Amino acid sequence: MKFSTYLKERIGFVGINGIIFVVLLIILMVFRTKLIVILMLGVTWFLPLMSYMIIEYMKYKHYYQELEETFENLEIKYLLTQVIKEPSFAEGKIFFEILRKTNKSMHEQVNKYEGMQKEYKEYIESWIHEIKTPIAAVNLIIANNKDVTTQKIAQEIKQIECYTEQALYYARSNDVNKDYLIKPFTLRKVVMSVIQDHSTMLIQHRIMPEIGALEEVIYSDYKWVKFILNQIIGNSIKYAKTQSGTLKIYTHRLAQCVILTVEDEGIGINEKDVERVFDKGFTGENGRQFIKSTGIGLYLCKKLCNKLGLGLTLESEAGVGTKVKLIFPVSENSRVD
Amino acid sequence: MKRKQWGEEEMHKILIIEDTQVIREELKTFLLNYGYEVEALESFENILGAISHIEADLILLDINLPLYDGYYICREIRKTSQVPIIIVTSRDSEMDELMSMNFGADDFVTKPYNTQILLARIASVLKRTYGANTQGELLNYNGLTLNLGNGTVSYQQRSIELTKNEYKILGYLMKNKGSIIAREELMEVLWKSELFIDDNTLSVNVNRLRKKIEDLGVENPIETRRGLGYIMP
Repeated sequence: MKFSTYLKERIGFVGINGIIFVVLLIILMVFRTKLIVILMLGVTWFLPLMSYMIIEYMKYKHYYQELEETFENLEIKYLLTQVIKEPSFAEGKIFFEILRKTNKSMHEQVNKYEGMQKEYKEYIESWIHEIKTPIAAVNLIIANNKDVTTQKIAQEIKQIECYTEQALYYARSNDVNKDYLIKPFTLRKVVMSVIQDHSTMLIQHRIMPEIGALEEVIYSDYKWVKFILNQIIGNSIKYAKTQSGTLKIYTHRLAQCVILTVEDEGIGINEKDVERVFDKGFTGENGRQFIKSTGIGLYLCKKLCNKLGLGLTLESEAGVGTKVKLIFPVSENSRVD
Repeated sequence: MKRKQWGEEEMHKILIIEDTQVIREELKTFLLNYGYEVEALESFENILGAISHIEADLILLDINLPLYDGYYICREIRKTSQVPIIIVTSRDSEMDELMSMNFGADDFVTKPYNTQILLARIASVLKRTYGANTQGELLNYNGLTLNLGNGTVSYQQRSIELTKNEYKILGYLMKNKGSIIAREELMEVLWKSELFIDDNTLSVNVNRLRKKIEDLGVENPIETRRGLGYIMP
C-alpha cells in the first residue's frame, strides 16, 4: 500500500482539520495574534495528528505487504488463512474472520465432493474385482465345453474383459503415483505378454505379428506399460481391415530413448482427425463409421504416459494403417547394463 | 473323461481352495481334463487341517475367502510345509503381488485368467518344484511315440525328427486325442510358444507332419474334419 493511497482514504479527515485550521487562522489573524502563537498552535495541532497517521500507515503497510508476499509465495492459494497472522487492527480483524469462515465453508464443500468421488472410485474398483469372478467362471466353462457356440461367447467375453480392464485403469488413472513399481524389464517380455493376451483375436482377424528383437531393457511400471500396449494393440485389432494384415512391432535405439513402434495395416485415421485422437471422447470419422469407438482408450494412454514420463505419438494414413510410437526415456544409469 | 495321458509320469495332485462354487467346480473339471488329480475344499472351517490331510503337490489359493483371507492361510501353510502355492486373486495391484510373494507364495495369477496361461503357470511351478522329466516326457498314441524332450517321433523302432512347429502340433493333437481341434486353436498353441504362424503355414506344417508319420508306416494319422479342424481319433 502506497502512502498516497493511504492518504487518499483519509482525505476527508485531513481536509476537515485543514479547513478548521485555516478558519481558526483567519480568526486569530483578525484578532492580531502573534505569529509565534499561531505557529505553536499549528505544531501542537498537526504534529500528533501527522505522527499518528504515519505510525498507523506503517502498521497497515507492514501487515498488507506481508500478506501480499505470503500470498504470492503460496503455492496453494486457498491455504492463505492458515498461514497469515491475525491483524492487530479492528477492520482487519473483521475481514480476517470472514475470510476464515468462507474458507472453512469452501473446505467443507470440497471435502464433501472429494469424499463422494473417493467413494465412487472405490465402488467402481470393487465392482470390477467382483465382476472378474464371474468372467473367470465363464472362461472356465468355455474351456470345459469347447464348441462353435462357446468359441463365439469366448470372443465376446474377451471384449468384456478389455472394457472392464479399461474401466479399472480409468478409475485408477488419477493416482498412478500411489500404485506403481519401477522395475527393469525387456520390451520383449511385455510385448509378448500382450500378444498372447490377444492371440485369439489376432488369429480371428488374420493379423500376423512381425516382432523385432525388442531386447532393450527399460525401467518403468510393468503393469501400466502393459495396459497402454494392450489398448494400442487392441485398437489395431478393432480397426483392422477385413482382409489379413500384419502387425509390426519393433524398436529404435536413440541416445536418450528407446522408441517402440506398433505399426498396423488397419483402416487408419483421416488426416484431419489424427491430431485429436488423444482428446477425451473424440471419435474420428473412421472410428464412427466402422465400429463404435468410445474415445477413451487413447486418451487414457496419453494421460498415463504423461504420468509415467513416457512419450506417445501417432501417425496414420486413412486406408493404409496406423503407427503408434511409445517412447521410453533411457538415463545414463540404465544404459550401463 | 481324461483328455491327456502323460506317458510314465505320475499325476500331480492339485488342491483348489476357492469359495466361489462355479469356479471351484469348473476349475476342477478343467484340471481333471488336463490330467491332474484334483481335490477341492468344500468347507472352509478347518482349512489348515484339510490341507495337511490332503497332501497336495500344489495349492491354488484364492485370496478372498470366508473366515480367513488367503494371505493368512498362505503364511500358516508355510510354517509347516513347502508345498508350492499359486495365489489366485481378482485384485492386481503391486501391493497384492508383493504381499503374496512375501507370504511365501510361488506365483500369483490374476482373475479372470486365461485358462491356457493358468495351465502354463501350474506346469512351470510344478516343474520348478519337482524337476522336469525332460527325458520321460513321452506321448503315446496307438504305438506312435512322441518324445517332447528331443522332438522325435517313433513307430516300431523307426524314428524321425520333427521341426519345432511339427512336434508342437503333434503333441497337442496327441494330448487331446479323440477331440476335434480347431485350426485356430492349434495356431494359438503355436503362438503361445512365440511361433507366429498363419493359416497357410499351418496347412503346410500339418501336411508335412502327416507325410513324415506316414513314412514311418502309420496310415492316415491325422484326420481333417472339414470346417472343424483336425483330429487323431
